[in-house]
Amino acid sequence: MDLLTQWLGWMPNLAPGLVISLQLTGLALLIGFPFGLLLAVMAEAKFLPFQWISFGFVEIGRGLPALVLLYLLYFSLPDAGITLTSLTTAIIALSWNTGAYASEYFRAGLAAVPLGQKEAAITSGLTGWTGFRIVILPQALRISTPPLAGLAVLVFQGSALAFVIAVPELMSKAFEIGSITFEYLSVYTLTAVIYGSLTLVFLGLVRLLELRLGRHLLRN
Amino acid sequence: MGLSFGTKAPPTALSGEVEVSGLGKKYGVIEVLKDVNLSMAEGEVVSVIGPSGAGKSTFLRCLNYLEKPSSGTIAIGGARVVAGEKLPDKTSLDHLRRVTGMVFQSFNLFPHLTVMENITLPQRKVLGSSREQAEEVANQLLRRVGLPEKAKAYPARLSGGQQQRIAIARALALSPKVMLFDEPTSALDPEIGLEVLAVMRDLADEGMTMLVVTHEMHFARDVSDRIMVMGNGGVLEIGPSQQVMSEPQNERTRQFLKAVLDR
Repeated sequence: MDLLTQWLGWMPNLAPGLVISLQLTGLALLIGFPFGLLLAVMAEAKFLPFQWISFGFVEIGRGLPALVLLYLLYFSLPDAGITLTSLTTAIIALSWNTGAYASEYFRAGLAAVPLGQKEAAITSGLTGWTGFRIVILPQALRISTPPLAGLAVLVFQGSALAFVIAVPELMSKAFEIGSITFEYLSVYTLTAVIYGSLTLVFLGLVRLLELRLGRHLLRN
Repeated sequence: MGLSFGTKAPPTALSGEVEVSGLGKKYGVIEVLKDVNLSMAEGEVVSVIGPSGAGKSTFLRCLNYLEKPSSGTIAIGGARVVAGEKLPDKTSLDHLRRVTGMVFQSFNLFPHLTVMENITLPQRKVLGSSREQAEEVANQLLRRVGLPEKAKAYPARLSGGQQQRIAIARALALSPKVMLFDEPTSALDPEIGLEVLAVMRDLADEGMTMLVVTHEMHFARDVSDRIMVMGNGGVLEIGPSQQVMSEPQNERTRQFLKAVLDR
């Protein structure tokens, strides 16, 4: 059978899986990035318990493989009387994992803003939260954006792990097709093409974003 | 730009726009400022000179609490703060910073904001000005520092001298009572520095109270009313500019002036 025809025939089954993969990725980023920023700010807080909480979340989120985190949440939460769908569990695990890594990129970005900026904010009356929001954060975000975008690609690829707790995402749909047709190599090749091409498109968008964010630094 | 040097009427000594007494600063056991006293009248310009490590910048930075002084009192333009172990309450600290404008050696313009936003944002956030009001003030200030055409530019597109003039405009936008300059021309080549000095000279002629840490001896002599010489964390001497420059009383001052003027 012609390969393309075979692939096209699988697409109606794979497409809903891809939609779930993208939803899972989107939500993990939407929750994980702000969570990471919060962890980064807490890590620098003068109030010690904030630092401890941040440390705990970051070290667990980074210390455990996402796969282990997924299994732990999936099997432990019901024991604690919390029953969540596998998709929700996957969203929590991936958001946690994302937030833990993102917090390090946010911290690096915040640390890279020159001290003089903070001083100029203070002497311009932009103190506390206002100064942070208007002066420090925008500069830190510009520095953190490229690595965060790279992380987003990894999260998209990592969303395939949700397969192990029966989230019907792209990888699990591919496995389903494989187990019915025994065309494992063919269906996984198609899956690889889908992940790979979307990643390339996304990286291209990241490049455009970087150029846009750096506009104000161009001298001419 | 103002050409009048030394023609300004001597300020009256009574108004006491700046009253600093017994200011001290320690890093652990190291004393970097020792019992610094300074009293300035409204409209007075004082230059602070002295060798590196004398504590000039630290002194200036203590005045608006960018550095926390360990002892002494600071009273500027109606704001008053007593230094101690703890930070002063937020209200007095904000007040102190409201009445002082600061210009840094490295300009510290906000690079992600346009020139216009650099000058208008503080007004809008601190004074609650409307965008129109803030832009009107900004346009006046941009004309005053000679850069009305740069409103939409980002700082990276400007020369160092232009950036520093914008930084002066930004500080002036909040109508401070006293302007603090921390080596405003040290990061600039000598020729470019002149355009910044010209703006400062104008400001002095208009009656702004200014405290200027500087290595520009001509500016110190011609524009400032008095010169304060610092060395080793303390005040070596302070007096009328011409007098300090021509007949320094302190041996260390003589040494320093000889070194700077002979180069």
